Amino acid sequence: MLLEYLPIAVLLILALLLAGIVIALGHMFGPRHPTERKSMPYESGMRPIGPGTRRMPVHFYLVAVLFILFDIEVMFFLPWAVIYKKLGVFGLVEMLIFIAILGVGYVYVWKMGALEWE
Amino acid sequence: MSLNDLLVNLNLIMPITILTAWACVLLLVDLFIPKERKGITALLAALGLLVALALVISRAGVATSAFNGMIMIDGFATFMSVIFLFSGLAGIAVAYDYLIRSGIERGEYYVLLLFSIVGMMLMAAAADLIMVFLALELLSIPLYVLAGIAVPRPDSEEAALKYFLLGAFASGFFLYGTALVYGATGSTALTEIVSATTSGGVNLSFLVIGAGLILVGLGFKVAVVPFHMWTPDVYQGAPSSVTAFMAVGAKAAGFAALLRIFVLAFPPLAMDLTPVLWALAAFTMIIGNVIAIAQRNIKRMLAYSSIAHAGYIMMALVPYGQGNVAADTVASALFYLLAYMLTSFAAWAVVIALEHNMGEGRDTDGLSLEDYSGLGQKQPALAAAMTVAMLSFIGIPPTLGFVGKFYLLRTVIEGGFPGLALIGLLTSLVSAYYYLRVVVYMYMRDGEPVVRREPWLYFTALATAVGVVVLSIFSEPLFNWASQAVLKLI
Amino acid sequence: MEYGLILEWIIKAVLMLLILLIGFAYTTYLERKVLARMQVRYGPNRAGPKGLLQPVADGVKLIFKEELIPAKADKLLFILAPVITVLPALTILAVVPFGGTVNLFGREITLSIAGDLNVGILYLTAVTSITVYGMVLAGWASNNKYAMMGGIRATAQVISYELALGLAFIGPILLASSMSVNEIVNAQGRMGWFFIYQPIGFIIFLIATLAEINRVPFDMPEAEQELVAGYHTEYSGMKFALFMMTEYIKMIVVAVLAATFFLGGYLGPFVDQVPWLGPVYLFIKVFILVFGIIWVRATWPRFRYDRLMAFGWKIMLPLAVLNVLLTGAFIILFPGVIR
Repeated sequence: MLLEYLPIAVLLILALLLAGIVIALGHMFGPRHPTERKSMPYESGMRPIGPGTRRMPVHFYLVAVLFILFDIEVMFFLPWAVIYKKLGVFGLVEMLIFIAILGVGYVYVWKMGALEWE
Repeated sequence: MSLNDLLVNLNLIMPITILTAWACVLLLVDLFIPKERKGITALLAALGLLVALALVISRAGVATSAFNGMIMIDGFATFMSVIFLFSGLAGIAVAYDYLIRSGIERGEYYVLLLFSIVGMMLMAAAADLIMVFLALELLSIPLYVLAGIAVPRPDSEEAALKYFLLGAFASGFFLYGTALVYGATGSTALTEIVSATTSGGVNLSFLVIGAGLILVGLGFKVAVVPFHMWTPDVYQGAPSSVTAFMAVGAKAAGFAALLRIFVLAFPPLAMDLTPVLWALAAFTMIIGNVIAIAQRNIKRMLAYSSIAHAGYIMMALVPYGQGNVAADTVASALFYLLAYMLTSFAAWAVVIALEHNMGEGRDTDGLSLEDYSGLGQKQPALAAAMTVAMLSFIGIPPTLGFVGKFYLLRTVIEGGFPGLALIGLLTSLVSAYYYLRVVVYMYMRDGEPVVRREPWLYFTALATAVGVVVLSIFSEPLFNWASQAVLKLI
Repeated sequence: MEYGLILEWIIKAVLMLLILLIGFAYTTYLERKVLARMQVRYGPNRAGPKGLLQPVADGVKLIFKEELIPAKADKLLFILAPVITVLPALTILAVVPFGGTVNLFGREITLSIAGDLNVGILYLTAVTSITVYGMVLAGWASNNKYAMMGGIRATAQVISYELALGLAFIGPILLASSMSVNEIVNAQGRMGWFFIYQPIGFIIFLIATLAEINRVPFDMPEAEQELVAGYHTEYSGMKFALFMMTEYIKMIVVAVLAATFFLGGYLGPFVDQVPWLGPVYLFIKVFILVFGIIWVRATWPRFRYDRLMAFGWKIMLPLAVLNVLLTGAFIILFPGVIR
């Protein structure tokens, strides 16, 4: 079974090689004259104000956490889908109950406004 | 499995099913209840608990197994479900006014409470290690959120974070233990584990280590030494109504799982595990009681006292491996959990009544011992309730706590561990100091306690205190009921 | 472990990488030409006959550009980020079959690298998720707050639509009862192409993948008028070329996936008798889809960011779940149709 993944490993190594070659080409042939002006972070030409990294709005964290929750739900769909034809009506009802419980959470999240502003 | 099987199984665990569905619907309904009327959510939650209680009692006496043997609805599960549902009702009663005056009233509090109770009921009925894990997570995660629900307060956030981190670790230990047990016996079902062990051919070292890790995971939940470090900080930081519920519910659920797993699945390992349990029980009783002496904050004091009581119940678990005593182990543990529930809620209801926000004319928050001065004269009813609770904690007749401890000690002596019984007695004696100290402050000091007059709080305090005294008269039939709830191998 | 097998894998991998590279180069050319014609102008027509050597010229120019690494940028991550972004794009197609079995040099060779992998779709969803790392690392490593914001917003957008994308995959799995991509193409041979059975699913797939590859109308994170250029503001030279490579290769990959899951993949008339027709059919379908994507860029304005997120969470997700349930009901109600 591991044998099936070996061609993917070969592809991965070759792709890595390709990316490496691309970057090496750039390094070899590109001129290198760093000046202070060129190395500054780009802020439409003016001197940058403030540090390069500052705190991000916490809303992005919320989006990420919600993504994880619903992605796990999607993961549960996968094995169910593979054997669905054998399960029949029981499978549909089972998944409906699962979706209903997650739907409660989804409605709650929607109503609480976690899906707004971005 | 077919659709019919699914419906039949859901019907078998109807109290759990109904409560889950009720909690989900309540969450949605709560979204449309305006902020001022959140009392409706509390009412609906209590209604749901009453419906579940009615279902549990109406189905008592029928022993079945559901979901291919993963859930066992027997007398044990019924008894524990009754304890959980009552503690849920008491939890809602003490929370109702407390939340409003602390400014943290949210409908989700009651929904989380309901979900936690579902987890606890599932834990008492679980007959498979995976089901125990599922129930463990289901009951813990709402408690993590509830511990942190008083969000602007930093110690509430600290309590939630501590509880969550340590709880997640403990769940990890539990899972690792389950994996080892599965590796050793080839199954996670409790009945199959014991049959695999007795028929031989099992890797005993894996099994013992797995059992030890499971003990660690559950021991965290019930706060035995050395897994007790989170208890004082979490109990103190969390809102008091949450602590009141947590102190009873999570502990009882953890012990339900411990009892079921050890008595059903690990009797053959008794030789290896009993010394460990002995040491755990002894240290818990000693450390819990001794450190409680130094506490001036009543929430911390009650936290350490709950650690000590976990030690007493653990004491009863020690002789679980001996066939004739195992029944008494379970019965006395169940009885003591009932006594502990009533006593604990009585004490915590009074604590919540006295707690007040800083700056209500005082510069304390009502949680240190000095704030109890003069309670005896100003609020005799509350003081009496607190006194009854303290006496029951020590184990002085005519309280239920006395009868409970009596049965626990009898079990230990029957099991042949007189030394442990002696430690239990001595530590109870030591505990008398800090419990009676509260009584002294209430009756023999003068002061002006600031008390919140709230009907449900009073009702809970008085009802549980009365229950503690009155039920001790009917302790014999109660104990018989608990004995019938002894686990049988189905 | 025979050497013939390993050689076969290496040749297939090299071939696929070459095809993707050339495809990337000429997709840029195609895009510029098509956009130009739709905007009533000529597009590139100087470099070589009809401008066909334009991608070569662009590539050579980028090689000779100065590569700036901003001061205080995290050097290792700065160089690693474009590599992490481009690797998934190059390796996704490993599980997609390009044709049936051909007979070459006395061996039976299947025209796919790992098409029989029985968790093919799981592999697809897993590998597409890795791109997110590259985007956010690029933004972080640039030490530029606009790049950081662009990176985070691009990430948030991609993961929001990844939910709908994952659910869109479930439709074909339900119909074919397998996660193996080969099996799904075979099922389409038996039943007919899946877009007949999954019209909603097809549309959700197209929209979700457009959002995944940050193309119009979802290209807010890298639009020139916003946030300068998003997470690849500070990149120049070949590293920038790698980001461009990612975008266009993903365009091709997405078209291949859509063709494979909903339009029958390499199937078409007479493909059993003449197996070499398989890749040709696939090429035609991919070409039409890529043209469609470029057409969309020429025609539609872009979504504002908050409307984009709202669309992904509030409309696409419930619609995708609904699609799954409908497909499930359909399979139960018409068992004869689904074989």
